[in-house]
Amino acid sequence: MTDTYVTTNMTAHDRTPIPVLACLATAGAVVLLMMVFGLLLRLAQGGMLDLAPDTFYELLTLHGAGMVGIAALGSVAVMWYFLGQYVRLSGAVFVANLVLFLVGVVMILASVLFGGFAGAWTFLYPLPAQPMGVWSAHAAALFVGGLLVIGTGFLLLYLDVARAILGRYGSLGRALGWPQLFGHDDGRAPPVAVVASTMVLIINTIGITTGAAILVMTLVNLYVPAFGIDPLLAKNMTYFFGHVFINATIYMAVIAVYEILPRYTGRPWKSSKVVLAAWNASVIMVMTNYPHHLLMDFAMPEWALVAGQVISYASGLPVLVVTVIGALTNVHRSGMRWDLASGLLLLSVFGWGAGVIPAIIDATVVINQVMHNTLWVPGHFHTYLLLGMLPMVLGFMYFLARGGRPTDAAGAERGIDRIGFWVFAVAGLGFVLAFLAGGRAGAPRRYAEHLAQWLPYDRAGALFAALVLAATLVFVARFLLRLGSARGRVA
Amino acid sequence: MVVNLLPGPGRWQLLAVYLLLATPPLRDWLEAGMVMHMLVQLPLLAGLGVLAVRRLPARLRNRLDRCNAAGVPLTLLALFAIAFWMLPRSLDAALNQPAMELAKFVSLPLLVGAPLALSWRRLPAVGRGFLWSNLLSMLVVLGWLYSAAPVRVCTNYLVDQQQLLGRGLLLLALGLALWLAGQVLFGDSPRRAAQATG
Repeated sequence: MTDTYVTTNMTAHDRTPIPVLACLATAGAVVLLMMVFGLLLRLAQGGMLDLAPDTFYELLTLHGAGMVGIAALGSVAVMWYFLGQYVRLSGAVFVANLVLFLVGVVMILASVLFGGFAGAWTFLYPLPAQPMGVWSAHAAALFVGGLLVIGTGFLLLYLDVARAILGRYGSLGRALGWPQLFGHDDGRAPPVAVVASTMVLIINTIGITTGAAILVMTLVNLYVPAFGIDPLLAKNMTYFFGHVFINATIYMAVIAVYEILPRYTGRPWKSSKVVLAAWNASVIMVMTNYPHHLLMDFAMPEWALVAGQVISYASGLPVLVVTVIGALTNVHRSGMRWDLASGLLLLSVFGWGAGVIPAIIDATVVINQVMHNTLWVPGHFHTYLLLGMLPMVLGFMYFLARGGRPTDAAGAERGIDRIGFWVFAVAGLGFVLAFLAGGRAGAPRRYAEHLAQWLPYDRAGALFAALVLAATLVFVARFLLRLGSARGRVA
Repeated sequence: MVVNLLPGPGRWQLLAVYLLLATPPLRDWLEAGMVMHMLVQLPLLAGLGVLAVRRLPARLRNRLDRCNAAGVPLTLLALFAIAFWMLPRSLDAALNQPAMELAKFVSLPLLVGAPLALSWRRLPAVGRGFLWSNLLSMLVVLGWLYSAAPVRVCTNYLVDQQQLLGRGLLLLALGLALWLAGQVLFGDSPRRAAQATG
């Protein structure tokens, strides 16, 4: 049953494309480096490492930009791999994205390490242009330019995704399953991978285009400060871009759950009306709930803030509930074989689901006014990125490392993998709880130095961070050592 | 001679519209305001170039296609010409110097409209999409630039004109984005779309 399902769905790749493996290897290596930076930050906050404040903020900038970048790179590899089984994508454009990504990373690294830029990955106006002498306009421009180059690469990739989907389905409406959603369900709705990719390409193309506009405006302002930007407009554009971009990483990576788990259980994940409705609703909701990042901005129109809260409450439900319930019913009493890939994917569903709870709490206006500038916020986004998005990509890597066949004995994991899994799950949970508890105690975020009463949370966070780093090192090393299997025949 | 290059029933109408745009009453009216100048007259002139290309003899089109690999060279030519006419000082020069006004009337159809029309279908789908995305984000940036400029950027127009133009550019970006969204969301039949996105 499982093999039949796999065979009928796998049409494009006999072997895993090398660029996909290159993306995953790059993402794996960079995530480890960024985790080291994150560990240093928590050690410094806990008073166990002496970091100069400017170094702290440089590392914070690199950690944020790097993690967002590799989240996008890893998850786009998942999307491209599975979408490529249904539509004809361009390998050249995928490679171009990887090259532009690496060029952008070099520019960002240079701006931070040599130029001292430390304005955080959000580059929020007017901070890049008003550094109080800490960095130059050139350093800020290099950082902003690096983001522009990376954004250009992703834009090209999404345009190619759009080309391929339009070529196969004619319109994005059909690719979102509108005929089946609003009419008779003839059972010929596009696969979830196509629906999800269409949703992501819509939101991220709009997000990146908005991001490109505010980045160019920032560049102009850096060199001609007389061209001022309305700070509220800048914040809206910046957070719309950032919010959509980081959310899209999860929506791309979750395709691994939709595609891989059914191969273990032998139960195809159908594009039912409920699934289609959920993904369609998310197109609108992800783009309209971003004002929850601006709940402390009193100058925002009240209706926008109210909408931000209401839509945030609603937006977690469609895809998330459909995915969580869908995953649980898919695996329940399926008699499936558990391994690292399936385990990590199910953990990711938990992480995504659990991460939404503190997110929704923070999206409540009266709570946000107290909690938004505390460690509660990194607590919630680390929950669904560290325990949600990352295990999706890691599960995909293990899936490939087993040759893409759940039943293959070759490449089966060893004891160290299983230990790594449990260390990752338990320490990851401890790590995010340390953030959330610190936030509950009022510890501010983005502070290089903490008061004595906040140190226990920081130190616990640092300990768990070290364990998560060790477990991730095992996962990435095992993937790199089994690149041959990952490259091998899939179907 | 130019008219002889354009066979077909529409050539005299095209020439008439072109001459009409050049006649002082209409030209003065279109150039009296910055919004009409940038958002109506310049696109109309480029549009005439697009329409003229549709009437070119097939043999001439084939010759032009041969030196326009994948549509890139002529697209670049059009982009540089657009960049020149986006500069406020170019608009000023066109209003102050007859030679620049003549250059505007010649270059927009010949160096913007015609090259874009010759290249558009030859560009890969990703390239066309990139140009649309770039146009949208640049319209927003220009809209902001004209709205936020601390000085008068054209000596021939007042500040309120450039601020109006800024808002006009933002509205244009919004309108284009909605039109594009409608195109891709409701789109075509899969077979025709496959041919278009080839």
